[in-house]
Amino acid sequence: MPQPSFAPPEPALAARLLQRVAFRDRLPAGRLRPPVGIIPGDIRSLSSLFLHLAPQPNSLPGVNLGRLQDWVRDVLGDAVLADAIREAVGASQSHVDGCLRVYELVAVRLAQAEAVGAAMPPVHTVEESAPEGTS
Amino acid sequence: MAMHGYAGKILHLDMSAGKANEVPTEKYRRWGGGHGLGSALFWDFCKDKTIKDGRNPANVVCVCTSPLNGTIAPSAGGRCDVVGVGVGQHPQSWYTRSGFGGRFSTMLKYAGWDAIVITGKAAKATWVEIANDHVTFHDAASLWGKDTWAAQQAIWEQTGHARGKTAQAAWREAAKGLGDTLSTQPPAVLCIGPAGENQTAHGCLVHDAGNGAGQGGFGAVWGSKNLKAISVIGTGAISVADPQALLKARFVLKEKYVTSWDRPDFGQWSHLGGLPNPLTMTPPPTDERRPQACQSCINGCRTRASVGYGNESTCQETAWYISAASRVAKSPAQLGEVNMRAADVVQRYGLNSFVFQTGLHWLELLHEERVIGGGKVPSSLPWDKYGTLEFAEKLIHALSHREDIGKDLADGWVQAAEKWGRTEDLANGNMAFSYWGMPDHGYDPRAELDWGYGSILDSRDINEHCFNIIFTNVNAAFAFGKPMRLEAGELVELVARKLTPYIKGRTDVLDFGDANMYSEGVAQLVRWHRHYTRFYKQSALYCDLKWPDFYNTNTPNMEGATASEDAGEQVFWNAVTGDRMTFDQGMELGRRIWNLDNAIWTLQGRHRDMVHFAPYIYETPFTKGELYPFYMWPCRNARGAWEYTDVMGRTLDKAKFDEWKTIYYGLEGWDTKTGWPTRKTLAGMDMSVVADELAAARRLGADA
Repeated sequence: MPQPSFAPPEPALAARLLQRVAFRDRLPAGRLRPPVGIIPGDIRSLSSLFLHLAPQPNSLPGVNLGRLQDWVRDVLGDAVLADAIREAVGASQSHVDGCLRVYELVAVRLAQAEAVGAAMPPVHTVEESAPEGTS
Repeated sequence: MAMHGYAGKILHLDMSAGKANEVPTEKYRRWGGGHGLGSALFWDFCKDKTIKDGRNPANVVCVCTSPLNGTIAPSAGGRCDVVGVGVGQHPQSWYTRSGFGGRFSTMLKYAGWDAIVITGKAAKATWVEIANDHVTFHDAASLWGKDTWAAQQAIWEQTGHARGKTAQAAWREAAKGLGDTLSTQPPAVLCIGPAGENQTAHGCLVHDAGNGAGQGGFGAVWGSKNLKAISVIGTGAISVADPQALLKARFVLKEKYVTSWDRPDFGQWSHLGGLPNPLTMTPPPTDERRPQACQSCINGCRTRASVGYGNESTCQETAWYISAASRVAKSPAQLGEVNMRAADVVQRYGLNSFVFQTGLHWLELLHEERVIGGGKVPSSLPWDKYGTLEFAEKLIHALSHREDIGKDLADGWVQAAEKWGRTEDLANGNMAFSYWGMPDHGYDPRAELDWGYGSILDSRDINEHCFNIIFTNVNAAFAFGKPMRLEAGELVELVARKLTPYIKGRTDVLDFGDANMYSEGVAQLVRWHRHYTRFYKQSALYCDLKWPDFYNTNTPNMEGATASEDAGEQVFWNAVTGDRMTFDQGMELGRRIWNLDNAIWTLQGRHRDMVHFAPYIYETPFTKGELYPFYMWPCRNARGAWEYTDVMGRTLDKAKFDEWKTIYYGLEGWDTKTGWPTRKTLAGMDMSVVADELAAARRLGADA
């Protein structure tokens, strides 16, 4: 799979990508753990999305890849990543294949955001992390 | 006459008098074992069946084994069922059940007992030691306050099995209660932790490191009776009527129904046919580990790892903190470690983590909206550390000790929502507690009808994966884009062959599509499910993770072991007990037990008007992607052809569900106006004495 090549995020976007969004803006996403079940969960940051999509030997990520694109665009505010996700999902052969492709994208984007944001002070509070009008 | 499979005696612990009494099992033989045995004992021993909270001293708790416990019946040898009135449900707590595995039930039978009936309330903290026939009530002052692991360790020390003692010394100590016999085994201990001692709603019973009777709040019930622990060691054995037949059936099961170790089919579809696999929700932290299982299980769903944490925990308790931990974890490895250590925390406190399945998300919401931690619900918990192990410990400590938000949550979460003015969360689904004040399991009533309808007709989240294996098999294949091992039409044909006696061959009962969701067929399926599980799963004590086996791609004709002549549930039962029971007769016994349970609920105050889901099930659609992106289930399309169909995105229609209940009650032979049992139905099952008690309470249903 070729490495995605998008430009690093601007500092303001990088900061947003490293923060946690408000509970109301979370993206519900469970896991399927055969043979016993679905585990409810959600995604509230790019890093938790990265952990959610990380391939595991015993369970399958349960994020709705269609809604994920909208969430990345509207809640995280990252149109570049959202477009890349849409393209990757469109080219995927299955849900799992789509998750793997998106995982690669998210890994790159997270690394970019961390690199850009390395010099910035960490921000963890929900009030500060939520985009305008969502808290 | 020898009662093969049974120990022959039931132990009655009169906590008020501090006395142990013996009851012959023979009197209750017709109820099979496990739950059926427990319901019959509850019926006889509980003198006030109107109680609505399990902490009432009149409550009776029964811990019951099956004839299969202590034998090599596959995935049936080590389960145990606990019954009694529960704690913390809404609008009241029902007579309910909870199961657990391990070695307690086996050891109880080796000690000579088929069940324990616990009545009354001890004057002070007590633990009970059972060593074969010797039963001793001990002062538990030194144990009270200890967590479940420390309490078990202390009991092992007091009974001569402390770590570091020589085997000979341990044997000598143990022999004091064992007559002329010896055992190398440590006693099996079932106990409560701080959550149970403080009688909190989700206090549970814990045995060894990771076996818990979670739902029902039985830890709180034990706490209310001042009962800290029961320890049992036995040196007897269980008589098996036909050992050769038992061994043969076990070999057949392994050779025919379970995938080969040499050439494993990891994509096989079945309930029975997989290989041992630790059922932790995050991957085991290391490959330096070995399987661990309940007695005689072919599954080995637990693991013990060299890292020393998370050992023996599986399933729900290894899921409760994943979402929270993902807020702060920096890597999958860190997420896994926090998650598995959080599993240890709930095991030690003896708190049922199932309540966090959806409840933790709700608490997080309330905190972010400043309901918790604001003026309305003060909280000094370190919410800024949400997702860390430190927060997990402090949260569980608070809930187990009735401190902080635990004060309000201790008597039930929906009750707390009412107190905090957040009942709207039950309408919009922010608080996904769908039935009887308990959390949705994930198999949402709006999608998986057998699970939802079964739970609201029962007394708890049923947690029975009988039909749910369809969801898992189909959706995993769908997620990978793999060909289906069984097409929808083929799958429903195979399942329907097993639905004997009264819906055998009826594929329509499995159609959960919009057009069929309130049908007589679905009512029949739910009915079959309630009867099957009441006997085979909760009384014979076949493990939920392995049985029933409807279809099985390891076999040439794809038929599963359930009800089969070579390795069906009844084959093992008969080999152990010497009965000549047919599969259908087992189903009939399940129906009888289900009717007895409904009689108890009726005396407790249940009426059909109470049998409804939380408002969000009717008012808020089960949105696509809420838990999983799709929920594929076999349904018939407009042309009547079977296909796997996504059943998400819908609500239940309250009026139609109400009409569906009328169909269901009619099929059961219950009064359709009230949902109460009728004399005709009860008398037909030789249960006129139950009808008499209902009539005396003016709660006997009218015959149709």
